[in-house]
Amino acid sequence: MRFLKLYLILVISSCSIPCFSQSIDSVWVEKKSSNLSVSYISSLIYPGAKLGIELPVNAIYISKIGKSGKTKDFTKDRFVTANLSWYHHPAFNDNVYLSVGWTMRRTKSNGFLTEFSPEVGLSRTFLGGTTYQVDDNGNVSIKKCAGYYYALVSVGGGIGYDFSKTKRQPFSIFSKFNVFMLFPYNSTIYLRPVLEVGLIYKPVNFLSLKVKSKSRKK
Amino acid sequence: MKQIIPFVILFFVLTSCQKEKMTIGTNVSETFYLDNNEASMRLLVEGNTASKTFLLFVHGGPGSSSYFYNTDYISQNIENKYAVVYWDQRNAGGSQGNSNGDHLNLPQMTEDLKKVIQLIKYRYGQDSGIFILGHSFGGLLTASFMTKDDNQSMVKGWIFADGSHNYPLNDTLTRQMLLTVGQQQIVLNKNVSNWKTIVDYCKKHTGSFTFEESVQLTSYAEDAETYFEEVKEIDLATLIDYDPVQYGWPVTSILFNLNYSTNASFNRDLAKTEFSTKLGVVTTPTLLLYGKYDFICPGGLEEDVFNRINTTDKKIVISPISGHNIMLQDESFFCKEVNAFIESHK
Repeated sequence: MRFLKLYLILVISSCSIPCFSQSIDSVWVEKKSSNLSVSYISSLIYPGAKLGIELPVNAIYISKIGKSGKTKDFTKDRFVTANLSWYHHPAFNDNVYLSVGWTMRRTKSNGFLTEFSPEVGLSRTFLGGTTYQVDDNGNVSIKKCAGYYYALVSVGGGIGYDFSKTKRQPFSIFSKFNVFMLFPYNSTIYLRPVLEVGLIYKPVNFLSLKVKSKSRKK
Repeated sequence: MKQIIPFVILFFVLTSCQKEKMTIGTNVSETFYLDNNEASMRLLVEGNTASKTFLLFVHGGPGSSSYFYNTDYISQNIENKYAVVYWDQRNAGGSQGNSNGDHLNLPQMTEDLKKVIQLIKYRYGQDSGIFILGHSFGGLLTASFMTKDDNQSMVKGWIFADGSHNYPLNDTLTRQMLLTVGQQQIVLNKNVSNWKTIVDYCKKHTGSFTFEESVQLTSYAEDAETYFEEVKEIDLATLIDYDPVQYGWPVTSILFNLNYSTNASFNRDLAKTEFSTKLGVVTTPTLLLYGKYDFICPGGLEEDVFNRINTTDKKIVISPISGHNIMLQDESFFCKEVNAFIESHK
């Protein structure tokens, strides 16, 4: 029994060491504006566009003292995003898709940012040519708006630069590589890589939401 | 709201774009789709539609794609005279759909083929002359089409290129050819270890083949033609040479469709399918082409078709340097024979 107590004390203390090393200095609620994004998307050579909104969920301001003694400041932002995208693949299809996602963005004090964002959504394709139906008697008719609805899952990661950090300009630029999957596509799946280059506009007060922010020193 | 407006406009632009557009000319390239029973199948028509003569490629697989036949050589040597129709069957190439795997079967595909022909005639005129060309699995599909009802009256000619109309016979002929040629090659001391593996397998598996044996024989047959220097190898580099990006191939669609169809359960039904006993009803002029080194669909299949169809207007020709893809491996021979056949029957 004595050994069990000792074991528990050791386990609890070993867990608490890393926890206390990430001390949270303060937590507060602040109003943050939502962001708007616009980007050019391209799958190989096929063009497209994407419009989106980023709703802030929380922000963590981290100040970390490196081995050299220098302080590194960066911010971790979390957003719920909603995007409307479209691309045109000649003779194959046009795809319009609505997606919602969770964006994890880390921005350094020098403005350099990285982000990762999984998304889910709904896609509607429009076939890349006149679509016909032929009935059993051989009568031909044109099917309007021919295409399909698909479920969509997407993951993407990218880099960018936030001009609000150094130049006090309310926008960021970014480049992202995404892969999305449509299903059920002919009873299987369809994968497509998409390269995205865009701009995030950060208005002062647009759909402002109360978010929980933290400041942390390491 | 302002951000949404361009997308709303785009939506109406897209839907209004799907208006009928067809071209009669000597250098046409247009894509349209046939929607049938939960599949939207891509049709690319290229070449001389003014000729009112159409060569319809019925590709292999199942699950391959007609994109592979659309070579510069065929463009320059057939499309300049006639129009060529590149049809992607359901669950293949650039064809699209949702959960439609239940409809992936031979009777459905035979109906699709009939509707493709009806659609071509609707678009380009009922007086259009159509020649169907079945390659590999396309041989089985065209045999199914030609022997059903009065379908053959819809076409002016049947071209059977490295095709198979009888899968059990196909397995028997493939085994026989692998065994015979393999033993000769071993005596000649060529690729001995590879051929020994194949010959040993053929000696152990003598007939009444299971589906798994059939798949293994096909795999050996695919390898076998690569052991002959005179046969042009068709590999990934060949396909990259096609410049799929420039020509807008939906590459991932082609790959996932191929993977799905190749492994679909209906392949087990196909393994027992034959049309030899029905070929007597065929009275349409027929051209049979095969490669000397085609182990996948050996020439005995063309000979079986030749002997059974009920027409005197038939011809069988052999490419001395080709394997299973005569249209890619012996392009000049293929185009010369196809053009001559069409010219004399259009």
